[in-house]
Amino acid sequence: MALDQIVDGLSEVSCDVLVIGGGTAGPMAALKAKLKNPKANVVLLEKANVKRSGAISMGMDGLNNAVIPGYATPEQYTKEITIANDGIVDQKAVYKYAQNCFGIIEELDGFGIRFLKNENGDYAVKKVHHIGTYVLPMPNGETVKKALYRQLRRARILISNRYMATRLLKSAEGRIAGAVSVNTRTAEMLVIKAKAVILCMGAAGRLGLPTSGYLFGTYENAANSGDGYAMAYHAGAALANLECFQINPLIKDYNGPACAYVAGPFGAYTANNEGSRFIECDYWSGQMMLEFYNELLSGKGPVFLQLKHLHPDTISEIESTLHKVERPTRGLFQQGRGVDYRSESIEMHISEIGFCSGHSASGVFVDDNARTTVPGLYAAGDMASVPHNYMLGAFTNGSVAGIDAMEFADSHDFAEFDAADVAMERDRVMAPTKCEDGIPPNQIEYKTRRLVNDYLQPPKVTRKYELGMRRLAEVREDMQERMIARNAHELLRALEVQSIMDCADMAAHASLYREESRWGLYHWRTDFPEKDNENWFCHTLLSKRDGKMTSEKRAVEPYVVPVADDEKDLYDKQRIRASA
Amino acid sequence: MPLASYQTSVPVVVDDAKCIADKGCTVCVDVCPLDVLRISEMTNKAYMAYDECWYCMPCEADCPTGAVTVNIPYLLR
Amino acid sequence: MSSPFESYDDLEDADERLQAADPAERRVAIIALGHSGDPAAVAHLANMVADPDAGVRQQVAMALGEFDGPEAASALVKLLVDPERIVAAAAADSMAEFKDPACAVIILPLVKHAHAFVRMGALRALKELRCKDTLKPALEALHDADAAVRVQAIGVIGFLKLEESIPALTALINDPDAHVRRAAVSALAFSQMKPAAETITRALKDSDWMVREMAAETLGLNVNGSLAADQLIACLTDEFWQVRLKAIRSLGKMKVERAVRPIGHCVNHDQANLRKEAAAALGEIAHPDGEAFLAVVADDPDPDVRKNARWALQQIAARKARAGA
Repeated sequence: MALDQIVDGLSEVSCDVLVIGGGTAGPMAALKAKLKNPKANVVLLEKANVKRSGAISMGMDGLNNAVIPGYATPEQYTKEITIANDGIVDQKAVYKYAQNCFGIIEELDGFGIRFLKNENGDYAVKKVHHIGTYVLPMPNGETVKKALYRQLRRARILISNRYMATRLLKSAEGRIAGAVSVNTRTAEMLVIKAKAVILCMGAAGRLGLPTSGYLFGTYENAANSGDGYAMAYHAGAALANLECFQINPLIKDYNGPACAYVAGPFGAYTANNEGSRFIECDYWSGQMMLEFYNELLSGKGPVFLQLKHLHPDTISEIESTLHKVERPTRGLFQQGRGVDYRSESIEMHISEIGFCSGHSASGVFVDDNARTTVPGLYAAGDMASVPHNYMLGAFTNGSVAGIDAMEFADSHDFAEFDAADVAMERDRVMAPTKCEDGIPPNQIEYKTRRLVNDYLQPPKVTRKYELGMRRLAEVREDMQERMIARNAHELLRALEVQSIMDCADMAAHASLYREESRWGLYHWRTDFPEKDNENWFCHTLLSKRDGKMTSEKRAVEPYVVPVADDEKDLYDKQRIRASA
Repeated sequence: MPLASYQTSVPVVVDDAKCIADKGCTVCVDVCPLDVLRISEMTNKAYMAYDECWYCMPCEADCPTGAVTVNIPYLLR
Repeated sequence: MSSPFESYDDLEDADERLQAADPAERRVAIIALGHSGDPAAVAHLANMVADPDAGVRQQVAMALGEFDGPEAASALVKLLVDPERIVAAAAADSMAEFKDPACAVIILPLVKHAHAFVRMGALRALKELRCKDTLKPALEALHDADAAVRVQAIGVIGFLKLEESIPALTALINDPDAHVRRAAVSALAFSQMKPAAETITRALKDSDWMVREMAAETLGLNVNGSLAADQLIACLTDEFWQVRLKAIRSLGKMKVERAVRPIGHCVNHDQANLRKEAAAALGEIAHPDGEAFLAVVADDPDPDVRKNARWALQQIAARKARAGA
C-alpha cells in the first residue's frame, strides 16, 4: 500500500461535550467536563496524539504567572496584567483566573506534575520583578503530558487521535451542533455531533516564517497552525484584538526562548553587546518586545542572554533545566554552535509573528466562563482571548470551560445541522485530492508565510499592508484552485495552509482597523504612531458577517480592580517611544 | 505543472539495530506532533518520512530502546 | 472504518502477549499496559518483575509509575533492588511519582537496604507521602555514610515539618558534606522555635558559599529570622556577591532600619544584580536615610537598577507623606 493512501469514507458519532485539541487546556477541559457528569460522553479530538501534543509536548520549565498566597494577590496580578496589556482587558476573566489558579496548581501537583519545592515541601516561588512574585520553576517539569494522559485514561475520556477538525456545525438558529473532522492518515471523514464544543487548539504559530526559512522551525509547536482561529471565524464567532500579535524573544536561529524566566531567578539577564541591561519594561509585553527590537536595530545589538557572570555551579543548575524540559534540543543546538554559557553569552533574536493570547492578547473572544459569542461554543488556552495566560491559564480556563460546557450540555438537547453543510465541507476538504496536477501545499505555505514576513510583520505600514493583501489574495486563489494533495498527510498540510491563509487575512484586516499604535511592537503602526485612548480604548472584534470579514469596536468592561493613575504613570515613565 | 522531488537531509535518525518496530512497537510514530515518522514496509523499522520536524524530542525521549536520535535541522543548525 | 477512539480493552490479550518469547514483544505489551490507565493492569505488570530481560524489567518499572497505591508500590520495591542500574533507576523515578500515603509502609523497609542507591530512592519516594511513621527511620538515615542519602532523609523530615526533628537537623550543621548542610539549613525554615533560627544564623559563616547563600535566604523565610539581623548585616561584606544579595533581600523583607547604611554601601558594587537588590531593599525598608544612596543609582547605567531606585524613592516619599499627615 502506498504511504498514507487516501481512503474514501464518512462516519458519524455523537457525544455530550466535544473538546477539540488535546494539548494543555483541552485535557483539563475534558477531564473537568467528565468529572462534572461522569455519565456523559466526552470526546477529546486531537490532530496529533494526546500523549505528546501541543505547546508543552516536552513539558514546561516553570510557571510565569502563578498567583500563590503569601507571594502575590489576585488583585495585584489583575492590575499588572491590565497595565501590561495597555488597559484593554476585561478584568473579570483575569481576576477569576488569578483566584482559581492556585487551586489548579494544587490539583496538578496531585496529578504528579512536579513543581520546585523547598526542603519543607513548600512551593519555591522565585522573585524576578520588583512588583510581583509569580515565578514557580519546574526543573523536573518534563512529565506534564504523561501525568495528564494518565488522568484522561483513568476518567475514561473518549480520545480520538490523528483527527483534524476542519469546520464547526451549527443549527439554523445559530447554536453549536458539532464538528467535521478528517483522519490525518487516511483522509476518512468523521462527523461528531455534540451539545457543546470546546476549542482548545492552540496558537496560530505557523503564521510568520522563521528567519532560518525552515517552515517548521517555529516558536510555537508547528502543529499549531491556527486551525482554531479559522474554525471559530467560519462559525461566526467573534475574535478579539487579533492585531495584538505575538512576538517573542528567542535564541537566534533556534526556536526556543533563551528562557529568562528559568535563568532570571538565578541572576541571568538580557543584555546588549556592551553587556548592559537595556529593557526598561517590567513585564513580558509588547512594550518589552519593542525595546528588544529597537536594541537589535541600534548599534548596541545583537542582544544576548548573559550568564557568564554567574558561578559555574549555578550555570550547571540552569543547564540541567534548560536542556531537559520544554525545549530539550536547546543543549544540542548550543553544542553545535560551540557555545558554553560559562564563557559566552547566548545570541538572541525575535520570533516570527503569530496569534497567541498565552503571551499577548489575540484570541477568540470569550467571557469569564470561557463562552464565545456562539451559543454552546467555548474556547480556552492560547487561542482564547484571556490575555497573558501561559500554561497555567490554559489549565485554569480549560477547567472553567469544561465545567460550564457540561452544564450547557446537561440542559440542552442536540442542535440539528443541515446535512448539506457536511456535504459541502467534504467537498472543500477533499478538493486538493481531486487535482491531477497543481501546486503542493508546502509551496503555497512558504509563499504565504514569506509574504506575511515581508508585508505584515511590524512596524505596520498601511501601504505595505495593502500590497500584502493583494499578493495574499493571489496565493489564495492558487490555493483554492490548484493546490494538490497526493496522500492523506499532504492533505493535512493542505488543510493547515488554509488555516494559515485565513489567519494572515485576519491579521491584516484587524491591523488596518485599529488606527493607532498600542501594545508596543505588537501593534506599531507607523501611520498612526501614537496611542489614541480617546478613540481606541476598546477591544476590536473581528467576525464573519454575510460571508465577509468585518471588524467592530467593543467597550472594555468596567474594571473590578481599579488601577490608580499614579500606578499607570509608574509604568508609563518606563516607556520609550516607538520611534526611538 | 509537473512535480519534482526535492533533496533534503532529515533530522531524525533511527538505529535499525535497536528499533523494535518490527515487534509491534509504534511509540515514536504515535508521539510525533507533526506525524512525520512511519514504519517502513521494506525494513519494518521506523524512519522519518517527511522533513517537517519541530525537533521537539518525544520520539527520542519515549523510544523504549534508545533507537531514535533527533538532530537540529540543517537550516538552523 | 474502525473505531475512531483509543481502545479501553488493553487487558484483553495481555497475558498472552506478556508471555511472548521475544523480549521486545513483551516490552511492547508492557508499554500498552502502562498507558491503559486501568488499575487491573498493575497485577499483570507485577507478574513481570522477575523477567529475565533487563530491558523488560525497566519497562515494567516505568509502566508502574503510571499507577499509584500499595500494589504498584510492592512491585516497584522489587525493581528498586534490581541488580541492573537501569531497572533500579526507572523504579526510583516511578516511585517518586506516588502520592498515596498507604505506600509508605511498603517502601519503608528499603530505607535500611545495603545499597545506597536503594536507600536514596526509597527516601526520595517517601518525601511526598508525608507520613509520620517515616520520621524515625529518616532520622536514623541522617547518619548514613552516603551524603546523597542524608540529603534525601532531610527532605523526608523537612516535608513533615515537625518541631521534634529540629535537634537532629541542627546537628547536621557540622556535616562534612556541603550539600547536606545546605539542605539542612533549608529544612529548618518552618520552625517556630528560636534554636532553629540560631542554627541557620551559624550557617552564615559556613565555609561553602552556597550554604551561606541558603542561610541568608532562609532567614528571610523563618519567623525568628529577624533575630539574626546583625549577622545578616555582617554578611554584606561576604566575598560572594550571591550571598550578599540574599542577605540584602532578607533584610529588606524584615524591614531592618539599621541595615540601611550597610545596604546603601552596596549600591556601588560592580555586579548590577547586587545594586538592583540593594535599591529594592532600601525601598522595602523605606527609611529616609536610604534616599542619599538611591540618589547615586538614580542614573545607574542599568535600567533594572534605575527602576528599583525609582520605586524605592517613591516608597520613601510615601512613608514621609504618611508621617507628615
